[in-house]
Amino acid sequence: MLRTVKLTKTFNQMTAVAEASFAVEKGELICLLGPSGCGKSTLLRMIAGLTPSDAGSIEIDGQDVTERQANKRPTAMVFQSHALWNHMSVAQNVSFGLRVQGLARDVIAAKVTEALRLVGLDGFEKRRPTELSGGQAQRVALARCLVVEPKVLLMDEPFSALDAHLRANLREELKALQRRLGLTTVFVTHDQEEAMELADRIVVMNAGRIEQIGQPADLYLEPQTLTVARFIGQMNEATVPVVRGQANWLGQRVAVGAADGAVTLLCRPEDLRRDPAGIAGRVARVIDLGPVLRVTVATEEGATLTWLCARADAPVVGAPLALVATRLLAYQNGVRVAVPVLTKPQLESVMP
Amino acid sequence: MVDDLTAPVGSRGRGQMMGQGFAGLALVAAPLVLLIVLVLFPTVSMVANTFHVTGEGGRAFSLAKFAAFFADDYSVENLRYTLVWTVISCGTALSISLGLALYLRFSEGRIATMIHALSLFPLFVPAIVISYAMVRFLGPNGLFQLLLEKVGFTGYTTPYLTPVGPYIAFVWESLPLPVLVLSAGLAQVSDHAIEAARDLGAGPVRIFSQILLPQLKRSLLIGFALIFLGVVGSFTVPYLLGPPAPEMMGVYMQRTLGNMRPEEAQVQAVILMAVAAIVGGFYIATMLRNQRSR
Repeated sequence: MLRTVKLTKTFNQMTAVAEASFAVEKGELICLLGPSGCGKSTLLRMIAGLTPSDAGSIEIDGQDVTERQANKRPTAMVFQSHALWNHMSVAQNVSFGLRVQGLARDVIAAKVTEALRLVGLDGFEKRRPTELSGGQAQRVALARCLVVEPKVLLMDEPFSALDAHLRANLREELKALQRRLGLTTVFVTHDQEEAMELADRIVVMNAGRIEQIGQPADLYLEPQTLTVARFIGQMNEATVPVVRGQANWLGQRVAVGAADGAVTLLCRPEDLRRDPAGIAGRVARVIDLGPVLRVTVATEEGATLTWLCARADAPVVGAPLALVATRLLAYQNGVRVAVPVLTKPQLESVMP
Repeated sequence: MVDDLTAPVGSRGRGQMMGQGFAGLALVAAPLVLLIVLVLFPTVSMVANTFHVTGEGGRAFSLAKFAAFFADDYSVENLRYTLVWTVISCGTALSISLGLALYLRFSEGRIATMIHALSLFPLFVPAIVISYAMVRFLGPNGLFQLLLEKVGFTGYTTPYLTPVGPYIAFVWESLPLPVLVLSAGLAQVSDHAIEAARDLGAGPVRIFSQILLPQLKRSLLIGFALIFLGVVGSFTVPYLLGPPAPEMMGVYMQRTLGNMRPEEAQVQAVILMAVAAIVGGFYIATMLRNQRSR
């Protein structure tokens, strides 16, 4: 449905987006995820035609739209600031795109009513945008896009200005609506939780480049670059030397499929488990996250580990504790290298 | 300090509050007295005077002075001439200002900065300088005529001493304020609001007419009032550049006063003031609406 090929944009000799290529299937929701300034919004704006690209191409539904102006593209965009027109009523805002298309008045009225019903705002037709809450305004912005039936719906951090509870509700509603209507959607966010919850696939970007494209679980479990590993979820990280395929992680020898040099070893907090034979330390802090506890452990080696543990396993601050890693990820020069899956016997076998 | 800030108002010393109130009054007293003595009192007295005639039976209320003004064809023609050319000047200056403000809103760089500075330049040029510059440039044997003759055009008729002369000067002189007001109005329209319209298929004309213009309505009204009030009562420009007849009301009033007919001049002033008051009231109402909607 949507395909970008080597899309590139440079601002004042600074590369904002470098050769970004990805494809979105019909009815799929893709999240462009990355830290601020990584080029995700620029990429979205290039797809919308609001920012001209320097190189590369954009194809929508088999047609090259790279040279088309924004008003000639079959896309519609929801902005972070909702960008409603305060001098128009809700109905006038929503009907704007249809009026541009020159549809008959009764057709417009019916479509506006339907769009507002879809976003749960029936009866709000005569309200002014200034009379709406942040969430309602963003729903109107969504209805304004839905009503023109775009081939690709573009959303630029639409919920980032809303409070956490409302954001979670709107995410659920959007996902349900997107599934029901089969909307092909590109959603920009810097919030990994939002991306994991919404996306069928995630495009992780950093410094203008696409780092990895994959399903949320793939990105979480198998991050292919160090940047993705660090950006998605929490990690315990240590950069250590590797000699003849052996590295030392907090006193434990680990076999790594990497050339001699430095290797970065990462372990997710939930991939640690209590084991008397493991890394010894003391509980420095316990934070109650509700369903689980986040425990900070100061190891005897002077390192700090974060461990997510079940409530039943809750340790006491100051108590001695030993942990083993059940899974490690290894990266050399930012690229993933093989590390065997660690099991308890394996761990014990590599203990000094 | 924190206690001071968080203490309820009632706990502050009453004497201290009264002292502050007195200081505030003292600050406004001087301008207020000047306003009453030098502006309000003469104005009220003049207006009252135009509505009275003094006869054998003493002073009595009468509209006779206004009836005389409107019965005099030349006076009515002067009023009509003033209003027509003021409105034409307003329309032209406002249109040019809108164009400039739109250009400045969507342009960046050195040229835009230069044009911005140039559009504000007339603000710092006195009307008398503008008038003489116009005479030297557009007047008979002025620079413009000489330039035209250089390129072989000899049929030039100078606008000097015709209604077009002051009109050109009015437009030039009136540009800065509406450019500032409209630029401020356009700055309120976010880039996203414009991009959202583009994204939904709107072209430049529709974006201008349906997104920008409605949001500029108040700025346009304020700009119109500012130009109108400046032009309608002007004296220097029409006196130096305008035709001998008909006359703008400012020039007419000065001549009437010079002819030792102060009562007639007062009537002319009150009529002009009434016209200005309508537009001024309109301006104030718009400003108040603006403040209330914030």
